[in-house]
Amino acid sequence: MTYYNNAVITKHELLVRLIQLLDTNKLLDDIDRIPLEMRPRTNSPIRCCVHKDRAVIKYKLMALLGFNIADEQHELTPLKEYAEQALEGYTQNGNFLTVVDEACSSCVQVNYTVSNLCQGCEGRPCQVNCPKDAIMVLNGKANIDHQKCVNCGICQKACPFHAIAYLPVPCEESCPVKAIRKNADGIEEIDFDKCIHCGKCMTACPFGAISEKSQILNLFNNIKHKKEKTVAMVAPAILSQFKASSAQILNSIKAVGFDEVMEVAEGANMTTDHETNELLERLNSGATFMTTSCCPSYIEFSEKHAPELKPFISDTPSPMAYTAMLAKKRFPEHKAVFIGPCLAKRTEVYQNQNIDYVITTEELGAVFAALKFDLVKTDDSPIVSKVVRPESRGYAASGGVTNAIKTILSSEHNITTELIDGIDKKSIRLLRSLPNKKVTDASFYEVMACDGGCINGPVNVSPLKVSQNKLKKAIQEIQSEEAAV
Amino acid sequence: MIDSIKYKIQICCGTMCYIMGGAELHLLNDHLPSNLKDKVSIEGIPCIGKCDTKEKHHPCVKINGEELNNATSQKIVKQLLTLENNDLL
Ligand code: FES
Repeated sequence: MTYYNNAVITKHELLVRLIQLLDTNKLLDDIDRIPLEMRPRTNSPIRCCVHKDRAVIKYKLMALLGFNIADEQHELTPLKEYAEQALEGYTQNGNFLTVVDEACSSCVQVNYTVSNLCQGCEGRPCQVNCPKDAIMVLNGKANIDHQKCVNCGICQKACPFHAIAYLPVPCEESCPVKAIRKNADGIEEIDFDKCIHCGKCMTACPFGAISEKSQILNLFNNIKHKKEKTVAMVAPAILSQFKASSAQILNSIKAVGFDEVMEVAEGANMTTDHETNELLERLNSGATFMTTSCCPSYIEFSEKHAPELKPFISDTPSPMAYTAMLAKKRFPEHKAVFIGPCLAKRTEVYQNQNIDYVITTEELGAVFAALKFDLVKTDDSPIVSKVVRPESRGYAASGGVTNAIKTILSSEHNITTELIDGIDKKSIRLLRSLPNKKVTDASFYEVMACDGGCINGPVNVSPLKVSQNKLKKAIQEIQSEEAAV
Repeated sequence: MIDSIKYKIQICCGTMCYIMGGAELHLLNDHLPSNLKDKVSIEGIPCIGKCDTKEKHHPCVKINGEELNNATSQKIVKQLLTLENNDLL
């Protein structure tokens, strides 16, 4: 879902700078300089003036440090103080997104606007057809009264000159569960009773005004000063996100300072085995269908919006959860760190006592960049686990779970499958309809909140198409290496 | 086939370039006009040492050895077309 735009680049730069400062022991001294350095007086401002630009950077940093912007005590509190607290780790509350209000507030209150194509015609169909009497013609041009407009869109359809344009609010439009809307001040607010942490608003906002609360400073600080032992649990999607071999990516993660590295695909082996048995058992005992359980955003969706789906969702733990169990057994002293492409995993981890941190692809990339790691020059000696089946790495792309399950099902089982590739308004309708059906189109539904699967997660660094190719290549490479041994 | 390659494009795959927009450049092939497709080779190369948060050259690309900073697919295509036109003159 990473669409190349400057807001994404700003986020990456912020992460890189934070980690560079931390790495060179200058974080507390220099963090308050970041807004000045990134938005120097000499550049033409992005918003109204350089001060606004700098304030935006400051609040984006605060969010990355794990603070709710709304909780700001005093406007003059320097970033240093927040950074000090962030190094200790912020207290989590299960909500991992925050709106940077300084960056927001720029979107329209009313979605319709009259452009200068308006001819001020005699017919004035916009005015005559407006059910709320919201259109006035001033100086030969139609105007929309924002107090009265209800966004019905009739004026736009009525105008023969196409002079009325629809201006979307990208975050609201991208949210599949209507969890984000404006407050009385016109600033977007997330309703966490509804939010499923899919991350779509975050990638949709072209101002980068929605930020996640990161744990990277706290973790990196602990690793750097060897305060605790860590095991990195690397999601298969990560192998699709950097231009280097899988071994190089995993070795680089180790080189950052993790004591142990495990592939989450190892847990995916177990998910596949368990989920296949579960599916057969459920169907035998008369269930119409079963859905996957590995996508945490889908689980949050079912909990908050469709409890009727719950009985049909597999009880099998996710690959991450299985991997964490293995990690606890193998390395009982170590803190477990999940590294993946997913925002919603933060909520899954929040509820899982076996895991201590979540790091995203973007954060991992920022660490590599800040430490100037050249992945293609890193040690290429094999590090991947031999027990991982290739299909388990395939979990990272949509259709991967289905494929893994089909591979171990014997051919006499005639299981019909369907892929729900992305949670959006349409697929929500479909999902909601399933529990009431006597017969469903398929008996196994794979549900992925992101279209394309985890490789299209909201906190990735590669575009989907590049990731798809890279994942395939990675899986093949490992297979042929293993065959060669 | 090899002979027809006129433009050698090298995309920096160092992590800084990659996360600062370089990842997008790996879709370059989709942006190439059809008359250039056969004349271009695309490969990834390790960090060329131009990455720095102060200078902000990233993402970096080399076209026939010549560096192009702050590269985008559009910029690369434009540069290729200029080179191609100069050649025709
Ligand atoms: S990462 Fe591209 S120049 Fe260093």
